[in-house]
Amino acid sequence: MQTSCDRVCMRLARMFAIAFLTLASLSNAFAAGAINVGVQLEPPNLDPTSGAAAAIDEIVYANVFEGLTRINEDGSVSPLLAESWKVSDDGLIYEFKLKQGVKFHDGTALDGQDVVFSLDRARADGSTNAQRPIFELIESVEAITPHAVRIKLKEPLGALPTYLGWGDAVIVAPESAETNAINPVGTGPYLFQRWRRGASVILTRNENYWGDSPVLDQINFLFIPDPTAAFAALMAGDVDGFPNYPAAENLGLIEQDDRFKIVTGTGEGEMILAINNGKPPFDDIRVRRALNHAINKQAVIDAGLFGFGTPIGAHFPPHHRSYIDLTAQYPYDPTEAKRLLTQAGFPEGFSVTLTLPPPAYARRGGEVVAAQLEAVGIDVAIRNIEWAQWLDQVFGNKNYDLTIVSHTEPLDIDIYARDEYYFQYKNEVFERVITELRSTADPARRDGLLKQAQRILADDAVNVFIASAPKIAVWSKDITGVWANAPVQANDLTKADVSGRAPVSVDASYSVSRMPLWPLLLVLAVAFAVVALFARASPAFLAGRAVSMALTLFAASLIIFFFIEIAPGDPASFMMGLNADPASVEELREELGLNKTLVARYAEWAGGFLMGDMGVSYTYRTPVSELLTERIWVSLPLAIIAFAISTVIGLPAGLAAAALRRKKRGSLIVGAAQTGVAIPNFWLAILLVMVFAVSLRWFSAGGFPGWNTGFFAGLKALLLPAVALAIPQAAILTQIMRSSTLETLREDYIRTARAKGLTWRETMTRHALRNALIPVLTILGLQFAFLLAGVVIIENVFYLPGLGRLIFQSIAQRDLIVVESIVMVLVFAVVAIAFLVDLAYAIVDPRLNASGART
Amino acid sequence: MNSAIQTESRDDIGFNIGLAIVCAFTAIALLSLLWTPHGVEAIDVDARLAPPSLKHWLGANHLGRDVLSMIMVGARASIMVAVFAVGFGMVVGVPLGLLAAATRGIAEDAVMRMSDIIFAFPAIILAILIAAVFGSGATNAVVAIGVFNIPVFARLARGAALPIWTRGYVMSAQTAGKTRFRVSLEHILPNIAPMLIVQATVQFSLAVLAEAALSYVGLGVQPPAPSWGRMLADSQTMISFAPWLAIFPGLAIFLFVLGLNLVGDGLRKRLDPHHITGVL
Repeated sequence: MQTSCDRVCMRLARMFAIAFLTLASLSNAFAAGAINVGVQLEPPNLDPTSGAAAAIDEIVYANVFEGLTRINEDGSVSPLLAESWKVSDDGLIYEFKLKQGVKFHDGTALDGQDVVFSLDRARADGSTNAQRPIFELIESVEAITPHAVRIKLKEPLGALPTYLGWGDAVIVAPESAETNAINPVGTGPYLFQRWRRGASVILTRNENYWGDSPVLDQINFLFIPDPTAAFAALMAGDVDGFPNYPAAENLGLIEQDDRFKIVTGTGEGEMILAINNGKPPFDDIRVRRALNHAINKQAVIDAGLFGFGTPIGAHFPPHHRSYIDLTAQYPYDPTEAKRLLTQAGFPEGFSVTLTLPPPAYARRGGEVVAAQLEAVGIDVAIRNIEWAQWLDQVFGNKNYDLTIVSHTEPLDIDIYARDEYYFQYKNEVFERVITELRSTADPARRDGLLKQAQRILADDAVNVFIASAPKIAVWSKDITGVWANAPVQANDLTKADVSGRAPVSVDASYSVSRMPLWPLLLVLAVAFAVVALFARASPAFLAGRAVSMALTLFAASLIIFFFIEIAPGDPASFMMGLNADPASVEELREELGLNKTLVARYAEWAGGFLMGDMGVSYTYRTPVSELLTERIWVSLPLAIIAFAISTVIGLPAGLAAAALRRKKRGSLIVGAAQTGVAIPNFWLAILLVMVFAVSLRWFSAGGFPGWNTGFFAGLKALLLPAVALAIPQAAILTQIMRSSTLETLREDYIRTARAKGLTWRETMTRHALRNALIPVLTILGLQFAFLLAGVVIIENVFYLPGLGRLIFQSIAQRDLIVVESIVMVLVFAVVAIAFLVDLAYAIVDPRLNASGART
Repeated sequence: MNSAIQTESRDDIGFNIGLAIVCAFTAIALLSLLWTPHGVEAIDVDARLAPPSLKHWLGANHLGRDVLSMIMVGARASIMVAVFAVGFGMVVGVPLGLLAAATRGIAEDAVMRMSDIIFAFPAIILAILIAAVFGSGATNAVVAIGVFNIPVFARLARGAALPIWTRGYVMSAQTAGKTRFRVSLEHILPNIAPMLIVQATVQFSLAVLAEAALSYVGLGVQPPAPSWGRMLADSQTMISFAPWLAIFPGLAIFLFVLGLNLVGDGLRKRLDPHHITGVL
């Protein structure tokens, strides 16, 4: 048996050697002249005029789409597609003169009609534009010449040129507007090339750009939501930088690494502890002031933002010239907080729920806030929820006490004047200030009004204004021309440059590495047929198993469907984002078919599923089957590799352990298996990353380059995750193989075989092995199902764009139809494998056919 | 024979080690009710990311919370969730299995079909689905893990009970006029109890792993209450400069599960030397 073991070890060693040689030659997979930019969130679509998701602007603003004006790095406004503009004396009429010779990416020329179309579309009934309330202040838009546009307003809007510079106001062409969500066509310096969902968006240089052509050949935006994976991707060289680096805790480490530079700039984010002003006891200003005194802002900043933040006293960023420092109004003073609470009638404090959305600043900061509130006698229960639930429950239904969130829109102090906003704050004086501000263009008067607004918010202690968070970017040292500040949520890379990298030829012919799902089903069916033919099993047995399989699938589909239906959170409001207009949300619900009855939706979903049509993803607006097919080519190979590794290790090890059961080596194997079974695979994964990715840097710590970058590049990315999955499974397999073999060795025919003169070795291979494998077969079938499930966890550790990441992403985004489909596919796989195992039994074990039953 | 005795004694060593580990973790969990080295929710900003030292034996995390104290209290969460989840599975599953074996026919079909359906969901997927729909938290983690335990015990109880129904003393008890209910309770249950206990140990260790996995993906016990899985998830961005944050909670899960498995193996050999080879 030791020879078999040795052979396995040799083979493994050779396999590893080959893998290492290959990956050494492939370590430079990404071409020079291109940069890889990490962003935290994947956009729901790529049309910046369709919703409020900042993740859209972070990719396409200024790079793909352009507006009449643009916002610069310092927050100023300058002309872009409009060369210049004039304002009438009453401030109601704007005339914009358009630039000549501007072409959309599809070759059509930009003219006044495109501008009319874009602005009319933004304010039309049924528009899902997130800033529709602002565009509705426009009375009319007309093209007075092909290259001049007149905008008439219902009331003066001093900041119109600024609003026209936002992503929501970019100019689109009527021919391509409908498909911009998945194939954006703008006038910008970069062309949209390709979107690999869950993984990346690729932009390439627009050779026909009307202005100065950008230096970079290609930008790959990679989606890395997890702070861990972000750090890992940076360390592993998978990305050249993050415009917004999500893991502030390891900035110290990055600082020491001379491959990177940290660029800090001003951000527009105000991190607040929002208070439900409409709900007792928070309608009492003394309680709100007590909360303000109870919080030590610096401690929250240290924990939630790792010290990267400036305390603020109102909802306003310190870098703005109208900022006034009001932080002294409520100094950290628990005694004063207790005094105010007693005054308000709560000498013993009270109980509150602190609702926290997923970002690290909220979850980490929340723990400190809770501890500080407990210190003044307030009993805090923390409730962690997903973004979709937060939007639904907190933002939409105002069903909360306290929450921590960062508001990132620039100059958004006016949200405190909105009716029915989730703070439930109402102050008519404040509302008048904001109304006046909106129609004021004079800088000095605007300054005074903004300061007044800040003072009112601080006096009323509407919320606890914790900090203004800076924009922290991490870039590879050789990258220049990137923004330090974030006046709008965008990553303008039009001036970005890398020195010392060779240019690449722009290759537009990316083949989509998508394969249809049906061949899989076909393979399964053929396997069914072959097995059924060869087994000569009783028809009753086969039919019985098939019927039970169908019933199981039906019941499971019902369970999944109704489960998901009762889940809280509305997909439509999540898709529309924070400041969306309720009417637009309702229209979207209609469009997605969310208003139909339960039964109708089940019938549609289940029926479609049978026909291979799983519906359209709420989030990505692409067919679910397409999403799944993309992902399955990561998850399935991962499960198969892990399966292969665990089988290659487990079966010989189990056999060896049985054969050597009286020797020391045998008990060593048993001990190793005992250890392996107890290791949680995600912990093993972390340990592997620690050793092989962070310290030795042999592997990248996560990510998947795609099979089209080469077979071995893909294999390399899957190797560590597969090992992490396989080791605990191999240990289980070893134990089962060992006990199964031991049991077989007790059988009479083994003794007979030995008695008739067969060697120990011959006995083992001819008699023991084959019989011992029968129970192992069941386990192998079950194991594959276990591995598919394990993949779900491991993919999240290694940031692989497979089914596992898709399911968590979809849960977070309330993309119910995708969740349903993934679970259904996994259930289908498990049931199908169980069926195959049943059929395999029918072949292997002829005794089964007589009774048609199994034990 | 000599070797058989040696095997016995080695198993005893394994069983004793396992028992010691399990008792130690239980003791730690109980102790944490009365005393932890530091307040478990206490945030000591100065000690943020402090490596293991005399003051913080296993270091402190990114908020300045003491890792040892968190692991101690985390043991409580781990044990509670596992106890209730396995208990839930047994309380529902065993009667169903006994019922199936006692009545055969439709009830048996229904129980087996239900088991098939639940088994069609990979365990962690079912748990994720439940936690995602009903929200995350200890109670939902118990339900999520418990549901998967129902068919395990239903099948085991049925499978173990069937052969006992054919035994002579059961038949005579029936002839004597005892109802199937009484027979199940008085004769079948005591006979299959050892097997159930062995399986419960196995399921307990699986439940500890499942709880860790759930809290790792953020669907388990909610902070500030510490849990081992969550500590691991939090530690991930810091492994390059604070590896102790990832090592100790993982080690706790590993040791506890190892201990439970050793106890399970030992029990199996004592109570049931010939049957049950499954690890599932």
